Amino acid sequence: MRKTMTAAIVAAAVIAPTAAQGQSWRTVTMSRQLEDNGEVRVFVDYGAGEFTVRSVDDGILYRMNLKYDEDKFEPIADFSGERLHLGVESLRRNINISRRQSGSLELELARGVPMDLKLKFGAVQADIDLGGLALTDLELSTGASESLIDVSEPNPVPMEKASFEVGAAEFTIRNLGNLRAEEIEVRAGVGSIILDFDGRWQRDAQVAVKMGLGSMELRVPEGLGVRLQKDSFLTALDSEGLIKRGDVYESPDFDDADYRIEVELDVAFGSVAVVWIR
Amino acid sequence: MHMSQLLHRAFWVLVLAALTLPLGVEAQLRTIVSKSVSASSSRATLEIEFEDDGTLEIAFDGGTILVDGEAVGSYEDGDELDTAWRALLGDAMSRESGALARILDGWAPPADLDRDLENAAEAVEYALEDALAHLDVEAERGDASVSVSINNEEGSLIRLLVSAMGNLGGLEKALKGLDENFRIHIDEDVVIPSGSMVEGTLVVIGGSLRVEGEIEGDAVIVNGTLDVRSDGSIGGEARVADTRIVRNTGEIRGGIVNVLEDEREFERELRHELYDEIRAEIRSDVRNEIRNATRFEGDGFSIMSPLRPVIRGVGGVFEKLVGVFILALLGAGFLAFAGENMDAISETARRSPGRAAMVGVAGSFLLVPIWLLGAVALAISIIGIPVAIAWLPLFPLAAIMASVLGYVAVARNAGEWMADSSFPWTAWIRKSNPVFTLVGGLLAFSGLFIAGHVLSIAPFLNVFSTLLFIVGGVVTFVALQIGFGAVLLTRAGRRREHYSTYDADAAWEDAVRRNAEDGLDGNAGTTTGEGSDDA
Repeated sequence: MRKTMTAAIVAAAVIAPTAAQGQSWRTVTMSRQLEDNGEVRVFVDYGAGEFTVRSVDDGILYRMNLKYDEDKFEPIADFSGERLHLGVESLRRNINISRRQSGSLELELARGVPMDLKLKFGAVQADIDLGGLALTDLELSTGASESLIDVSEPNPVPMEKASFEVGAAEFTIRNLGNLRAEEIEVRAGVGSIILDFDGRWQRDAQVAVKMGLGSMELRVPEGLGVRLQKDSFLTALDSEGLIKRGDVYESPDFDDADYRIEVELDVAFGSVAVVWIR
Repeated sequence: MHMSQLLHRAFWVLVLAALTLPLGVEAQLRTIVSKSVSASSSRATLEIEFEDDGTLEIAFDGGTILVDGEAVGSYEDGDELDTAWRALLGDAMSRESGALARILDGWAPPADLDRDLENAAEAVEYALEDALAHLDVEAERGDASVSVSINNEEGSLIRLLVSAMGNLGGLEKALKGLDENFRIHIDEDVVIPSGSMVEGTLVVIGGSLRVEGEIEGDAVIVNGTLDVRSDGSIGGEARVADTRIVRNTGEIRGGIVNVLEDEREFERELRHELYDEIRAEIRSDVRNEIRNATRFEGDGFSIMSPLRPVIRGVGGVFEKLVGVFILALLGAGFLAFAGENMDAISETARRSPGRAAMVGVAGSFLLVPIWLLGAVALAISIIGIPVAIAWLPLFPLAAIMASVLGYVAVARNAGEWMADSSFPWTAWIRKSNPVFTLVGGLLAFSGLFIAGHVLSIAPFLNVFSTLLFIVGGVVTFVALQIGFGAVLLTRAGRRREHYSTYDADAAWEDAVRRNAEDGLDGNAGTTTGEGSDDA
């Protein structure tokens, strides 16, 4: 339904183009059929605007609906064997754009195709659902964004490392358990971070969180063993439900849990709260 | 079977199959693997990529319709064609692969368009159909089998078939513009007997054509021979490609057209151009190689590479010796024409080297400010302007002369010192001859550089040669500063307050005179005293 709506809106824009004052909007739909693709290294660059990522099962490797100011940007869609580069790049440096003036990028990536995914976006409002994608590696880097990352379905392949680099953002990651990552790294500058460890855990994981200033909420499902080690300067830790053993905090059932995560917290200023979810 | 034979046979099989099965094959659409649909207020573009690497790009761009970059017509924003095209793209956005190919192939431009728009629309429609549709033909004969895709437009079947096979590119040219009523003979000799007539166009590929009767239309012969007998006639043209004319005693109304003539001419010209370019490039390369091989400098290898250090070292020594020679000439000139001045400078440098050096350094620093201030001071007055014009070049010249004068004066001192020394290799320096002492000093100052150049011949002694160059530079700098300072202190040797010439003869005479005077007085007194005592 959502896809149909999107297509309809884009199609309407194509059929009846209008030029916004001072901007030359261009809409582009690009797609590529699935072939006998092996693992694909996917790079997505997007500067500002609304950014969504979904998985798709239509026999295509990717579909990208893009709306951008053609005076300032140009789309990127390079596919060469094992490398797919998508997004937009600016035509000149130092382009100042506000979110209101910016366009949008809707990206659909093939389910089941092993991918080493690298997402890099700037001042965007991101709504990313990685559920269903077969991610072998994940790197996400964002600047001043408002991002919601969800892993709504389990990753069909195990992942070695997932790293998230966040500048100044409101950043939420849901269902980290579905990533099947052995190592999760979150580096944040300033902002409000929510790490939701829900999902279907299939392996233990090491989680490293570094944050400069801000508030962090760790949402942990009951039944998941948690060991938390804090290395902070001026940080308040609300560790309700965790038991302090020496230098670390542990969930009561840590030793008996089916799957465990060990979280290393390095937060300079701010607050960290552990919230249990059922 | 040899590959070329197999291909050759496969080609003919394919031709025959295509001719005999024109209605038995089905059109299919090419598989689209990638699409890009973009639209803005002034542009609406479709780009598709096919499975077999082919691409198609149709753009309605600012009033011009472009197919694969070539303009095929024009439109106006919002006209019927533009609207229909945008509607197609809107539909294409949500479709993929087969569905996409079908809607593109099935697209038809609006009816009742203006003539120009209709032509443009047909071009777009044709481009879509041409790119999307193809014909799968499979044919077998014996052990040869081939499968190939060609366009399904029946009228162009032969042309496309031929164009697909590179070895008969000439046929495409030969068939261009002819009607579609062909009678084709492949790999066989054809005889049109006397009294018979062939309707339409006769095509002979890879065989001979003997015309004794009549061909109503054109005759096309590719890779064969043409023999038109006296009774024979060809109503149209005889188009030949790679064909030998055996005889032409009959009638060819349209004349003989060698369809490859232009191509041949072009090839000839191109070949000549290439020859010229290659020749020029080879010449240039050879010239560069010779230059590289004989050059003395550079990092590249050349036959002179092993000799470079020797040449460089010997050149350096020679350069220094020439420098010594020139300075010696200048010094000799100073001695001849300003000997006393030079004496005063040398003596000052010898007696007060530290003071002279300090003055020299200070003077060196002040040279440029004085030069500029002097120029400014002179330039601000009308009377001073002509002087300033002379001041600008003469002051630096005077400073250089002063430096040279001071340097040779110090070198002379060094030469005298060496003459006094007991070194065996300085025995040739005669202290009584100032030119000898001057040359000796100059050689001493340059000796470090000369030694450095000699050592530089051996690459592994570069460290020592560099060290010698540094020490030589320091020595030269110090000598220059002392000399320049001495020149300044003595006002170019005109002021002797910093030294008094020591005249040995005059001193001896003066001492004898004083002694005599003192002796007379003393002797008188003594004598007197002694006498008085004696008395």
